[in-house]
Amino acid sequence: MISLLNRPVTRLFLVGLLLLAVQTTLLTEMKFFGVIAQLLLALSITAGLSGGSESGALAGFVLGLMFDLVLTSPLGLSALVYAFAGWGAGYFHSRTLANPKWLDCVVTGVLSGVATFTLAVVANVIGIEGWLSGRLVKVIIVVGCVNALSAFFLVPISRWCLVIRRQERIAPPAELFL
Amino acid sequence: MPVYSVSRRRSIAILALTSLLLITLDLQGNSIVGGVKRLFGAIFEPVQSSVRVVTRPVENAWNGITNYGDLEAENQRLQDQLDQQEGAFIAALATARDAQELLALNGIDNLADISSVTAQVIGDSASNFSQTVEINQGSKRGLRVGMPVVNAAGLVGKITWVEENRAIVLLANDVLFGAPVQVVNQAEVLPPVTSTTTSTTSSTTTTSSTTTSTSTTTIPRTGTTVFGASTILPVSAPTTEDFSGINFDRLSTTTIGTIVTIAPGSTSIGPTTTVDINNLPAAETGIFRGRGLGDAPIVEFIDQNSRFGEVRVGALVFTSGGSSSLAPRGIVIGRVIKIVERTGTSGAVLEVRLTARLQSLNFVRVLLYQPVATVIP
Repeated sequence: MISLLNRPVTRLFLVGLLLLAVQTTLLTEMKFFGVIAQLLLALSITAGLSGGSESGALAGFVLGLMFDLVLTSPLGLSALVYAFAGWGAGYFHSRTLANPKWLDCVVTGVLSGVATFTLAVVANVIGIEGWLSGRLVKVIIVVGCVNALSAFFLVPISRWCLVIRRQERIAPPAELFL
Repeated sequence: MPVYSVSRRRSIAILALTSLLLITLDLQGNSIVGGVKRLFGAIFEPVQSSVRVVTRPVENAWNGITNYGDLEAENQRLQDQLDQQEGAFIAALATARDAQELLALNGIDNLADISSVTAQVIGDSASNFSQTVEINQGSKRGLRVGMPVVNAAGLVGKITWVEENRAIVLLANDVLFGAPVQVVNQAEVLPPVTSTTTSTTSSTTTTSSTTTSTSTTTIPRTGTTVFGASTILPVSAPTTEDFSGINFDRLSTTTIGTIVTIAPGSTSIGPTTTVDINNLPAAETGIFRGRGLGDAPIVEFIDQNSRFGEVRVGALVFTSGGSSSLAPRGIVIGRVIKIVERTGTSGAVLEVRLTARLQSLNFVRVLLYQPVATVIP
């Protein structure tokens, strides 16, 4: 039982469930300039920053899928975009020797904005019109800023989820030696 | 520097392909996807409810801090609006009753005949793109996917997802929302004029005598539509009624039709109804479509009907009903606020302001209505 709880996917699912509940209750009321922060997207990106591209993509897929299951938008839409966001964050992580906190925040913010834009574009491609509107610019900016700030507490959470220990964290990424 | 191995690329590709497969299945309405959503909903609901209890004080504090000024201004505005509506409401009640009787007499469905379930909005959409709300009633109370949701002001949306004790309502301004509608031009409201009605009452006695009385009424000009102000004057006692105290301009905010009922002075057969057929506002049909949070919903594919004439700003938009429409006929949606002309045969696009305020929903009513085409015998 304990070993099951120590598995990254289990931890990710449980934390994701909790964050999803926060996302659908608290954050729908606490809007910033009328825009809802996207915690699950931020967690996907920080998972990529902490654990690399593969972990990021997997975390993004799982979290996005969970988000899709409570939304009316097509199942798999957020999963696809969040997986690429996590993968992108991991790609960035593999290019740097050490990520200072401020850099994690900047990357989370930028990738959140890019992912929000991508979400609207993909939705348009599959036939959902109306997401690409003038309001999208505001949504991108606010989601980017709020997610950047949330990276401060989400990076440690994602490390815990992915069972990344301190020694692994301070060591250079494995990709460098491949 | 080889950053990515083949297996890594493969795993990312598998995730992407899985996502695309899921999107395809969902868009095709696959039942497995629905089952998975329902299962996840069952797991997620207790967690969400618990978190809601914990976060409620934080939400309240946040709303108290950020919305206090807005609430004060809104309260003032609503108070003014309430005063304005009071007179119109009283008049509307009478005509609504008359209209229901007429509909029943002619065997036409009306909204009052449809059972409904009152529900409370317990959550908004967690996405910045989907316009949905969650309500606290579900299939246990008879809710089904597709049922229309209204509030006192008009159409709110329709049910798109149902679980045992909760349901998701797709709001009318969401890009996925569409409904067939009728657009009814409002007749022009002209300043009231004073007219004099002369009536004659005859009595049969040994000596024939004639009594002539005069009643002075202030009525709107022909063509004015007064919904709720079917002013039937007392019949048996010819009196002088002064309507100068009624502001017909206000009443006209809730008007339909051009039926002006004026009682004659005659006591013989009761009131007569004058219907000006030529001035009846004809109803155009079109398709109502939401366009997301930032943009006003629109009505497009308006039929070209010479009788309708030109669509005017302020025209009313109702659901048109029909055997396959998910909403019954006659639910108020809003008013036309802008007309965008298009070249060619595509016709004009009408921008609509919804009468229901979708940003501040609390209680809503789900009409337990299913169109004839979907009812399983």
